[in-house]
Amino acid sequence: MWTFILRRLLYNVPVYLGILALLMGALRVNDPISGKLGKNPDPSDYLALEQRYGLDQPFAVQYVKLLGDVVTLDFTDVESWTNDGLFVGEMLAESIVPSLAITVPALCLTSVLAISIAIISAFFRGRPVDKTLMVLAVVGMSVSFLVYVIFGQYWFAYLLGRGSGLSYFAIGGYESGLANWPYYCLLPVLISTFVAMGYDTRFYRAVMVEESGRDYITTAKAKGATKTKIMFVHMLKNAMIPIITRIMTTLPFLVMGSLLLEVYFNIPGMGRVLYKAIQEQDFPVVQTFVAIFAALFILSNILTDVLYALVDPRVRLS
Amino acid sequence: MQRPRPSLRSAALALLVPLALAACWAREPGQPSGDAIVLNLPIRAAGPGSLDPVRGSTTYDNEACSLVYETLLQYKYLSRPLALEPLLLTEMPAVTEDGLTWRFELRDDVHFQTDACFESPENLEGKGRRMVAEDVIYSWKRLADKSIDTKSWWLVENTIKGFDAWRDERCALQDAAQDEDFDFYASDVPGLRVTGEFTFEVELTEPVSRFAYVLAMFQLSVVPREAVEFYGERFPRHPVGSGPFVLTKWRNSLSLTFDRNPDYHPDYYPTEWTEEDEERGLHLDAGKRLPLADRVVFRCYVQDQPMWLDFRSGVLDYAQIPAENFVDAIDKRTQTLRPEYAEDGLTYHPVPLLDFIFRGFNCDAKTSEYLGGYTDSARKLRQAISLATDFEEFNETFYNGQNIVYDGMIPPGLAGHPEGHRTPAAYTGPDLDRARRLLAEAGYPEGKGLPVLDYYISQSANSQEQSEMTRRQLAAIGIKINPILLEFAQLIDAIDKRTAPMFSFAWGSDYPDGENNLALFYGPNQSPGSNHYNYENAEYDRLYERIRTMLPSPERDALYEQMRDMVLEDAAFIGSMARTRNYLGTSRLRNFKPTEDFWNWPKYLTLETPAGPAD
Repeated sequence: MWTFILRRLLYNVPVYLGILALLMGALRVNDPISGKLGKNPDPSDYLALEQRYGLDQPFAVQYVKLLGDVVTLDFTDVESWTNDGLFVGEMLAESIVPSLAITVPALCLTSVLAISIAIISAFFRGRPVDKTLMVLAVVGMSVSFLVYVIFGQYWFAYLLGRGSGLSYFAIGGYESGLANWPYYCLLPVLISTFVAMGYDTRFYRAVMVEESGRDYITTAKAKGATKTKIMFVHMLKNAMIPIITRIMTTLPFLVMGSLLLEVYFNIPGMGRVLYKAIQEQDFPVVQTFVAIFAALFILSNILTDVLYALVDPRVRLS
Repeated sequence: MQRPRPSLRSAALALLVPLALAACWAREPGQPSGDAIVLNLPIRAAGPGSLDPVRGSTTYDNEACSLVYETLLQYKYLSRPLALEPLLLTEMPAVTEDGLTWRFELRDDVHFQTDACFESPENLEGKGRRMVAEDVIYSWKRLADKSIDTKSWWLVENTIKGFDAWRDERCALQDAAQDEDFDFYASDVPGLRVTGEFTFEVELTEPVSRFAYVLAMFQLSVVPREAVEFYGERFPRHPVGSGPFVLTKWRNSLSLTFDRNPDYHPDYYPTEWTEEDEERGLHLDAGKRLPLADRVVFRCYVQDQPMWLDFRSGVLDYAQIPAENFVDAIDKRTQTLRPEYAEDGLTYHPVPLLDFIFRGFNCDAKTSEYLGGYTDSARKLRQAISLATDFEEFNETFYNGQNIVYDGMIPPGLAGHPEGHRTPAAYTGPDLDRARRLLAEAGYPEGKGLPVLDYYISQSANSQEQSEMTRRQLAAIGIKINPILLEFAQLIDAIDKRTAPMFSFAWGSDYPDGENNLALFYGPNQSPGSNHYNYENAEYDRLYERIRTMLPSPERDALYEQMRDMVLEDAAFIGSMARTRNYLGTSRLRNFKPTEDFWNWPKYLTLETPAGPAD
């Protein structure tokens, strides 16, 4: 197994180095200093800023610096261009926890609920329960995320408990600590879960239904296994590959947070920070965040491969 | 065996359990703050970018900096039109007869806030030291320091004797030195002279009247050198000033908390007010020591809905009414609060902004074939377009009728703004008969012979609809346009490169003087400068150079009007409009007289009853 992991890691090193080079190149197509100073900048202002941010260095030097920062996860000397006096390391440290406080519980809740509903739906395939669940899933996924956010915030954070003088969910804001989590984070988590469930349920049901037509299911039936055992022991295990794939591909996005939720619920997470940085052409923040995102994406791909190998040993052999 | 069926009781239980759980973490909107008076105020953005005055440029930077830092002059809180008064000075600066030398005397009772930057073996508490004249000179010199990415040099450029040359020389030496020990501030600026511990004088290059307004701008706030050097690159996050509040907590993109500065110098609530102010109870705290509140919390909102809901929940003490909530809150016909809002005790404050929203023409004949130039044909074509445009319809359709539509480029409330918002010199639409006549005289009867005109507009929420309305209004006299929607940066680029023959644009005054808007038509300011119209008129330029050095007077006002009418006759633009920002205050908020022309007014605010979140 370790050889397998090492091999995967080594395969991905050049991929990541290439991504970093592409990222740096793409961000320099339009001169970032001109973007900050506007057109026709004073040449001395231009030079001063170029030196200050190290953009006067050769590309290779800047590349090694960025790579070193990512490898050591040390961004304490990378200064934001639009938040004077603030460094990217601090921005990362401050924003990653609020993002994860929303996305991780939402992913867990969504996965558990969606898989459970998909199993129930597949169990009652073609019957009213299945049809009702699928109609609900389609309706759920047909409505825009923004609608859920706006109405969820209005009804549950603003109206709910208004008469009693109590507020069950915060309209916006974030406080760290487990005791504060339900007040500030539960509503965004529930909204996120509700939206994602429609897509996931339909996908997982399709996987389950496909598995239910396989020969091993017929064999299990012939051997007299109960329907519950067939569903939970045989079918679920064999459906794990697509389930793992789906969950793992969402992992990197967890770190980047949910932009809409963070913006509407005033949660100072990474999605909001990155969005603001892109809007304001905060070059170092965009470069660092995207570099980290790419690294996480590659790591999650490797993790997915490892999990495949664990679930299905044939993967290792191939 | 029969399975138990879900009963009504278990269904109710299923509903009650989450509610009971929710009750465990439920709380009153906002934590109680005890006896402290805590103001919760909104910032409609992710927050300020910098709390270093010379690096700040946005309204949000201004809002936050104005709590911590102070300027030599400030605007009188209750006076409208705006009037200046001394803040850090003992009296208004004395100006010599030629208008060139300004003499200042600082108050001797102003101290910087207590901060670690002042700590020493003799001063373990870090008590802030007294502010002296050298601090003012140092703070202003920082405007010239390129190494700190200052954004506000333009405020003093070509204004103070020898300052521009000093800047060039010091920057060149700094570049050459490449040495961290190089002291940028070591030499003197000829036009900035310290004459005593608390006195100094400034010699101007010419008697520029706007200098008084510049002295009230937050970028010229006074900072202590110790703090700048102690915090280095972190200084924008650690403001150290002499203002009524000190920054105690800054949560990026979420909130900024300011506490009362215990070392704040004596400063009192105004003792002059109008009858209208008295009706609103703005006189009740007259003569009281400032600041009136113990804490100010700025809450940052990128979206309007959470801000509005927080205001309606009582978390915020005031809010601007978002456009989509305007008709819910305000009766458009009577322009008053709707009953359900009035019953909550909310107060309504429409605040006109110093706006100049217009459609501009590129008057440069070389780059604008049909609309450019000052031939009879070009001028009449522009006048016809102006007469065909109905700004009132735009106002009603897109701004809830809230904007002020006016003639000229000088916003309401400033000298040079036409009485009743109208002047006969303007080609104010809609007057389609006259527009058709002028179009025919221009050589394009019913638009024949005139190609489709490119109309550049920035992409925003309703820019597509706005451009459609423009298309329809101009089509009524036979003029066809091709709306080109661009990102704002691209629009600026097109205007600067003179490729936009007709464009939609806006200008917000930097200071409350019509001179600021008249400068937009001054020949030397042509694109890529702020004269986006590339307007050229030798007589106008001569008059502008004259008014620039004049102090406020009836003679100057008359010249403003003359210059305004010159541009209107040439129809270099169509317009204009000024937005109104609609503020609502809670019933518990006292002394609320909002303005967006200056931002140090939270020091005058207080609450009837201490309430609201403490942090």
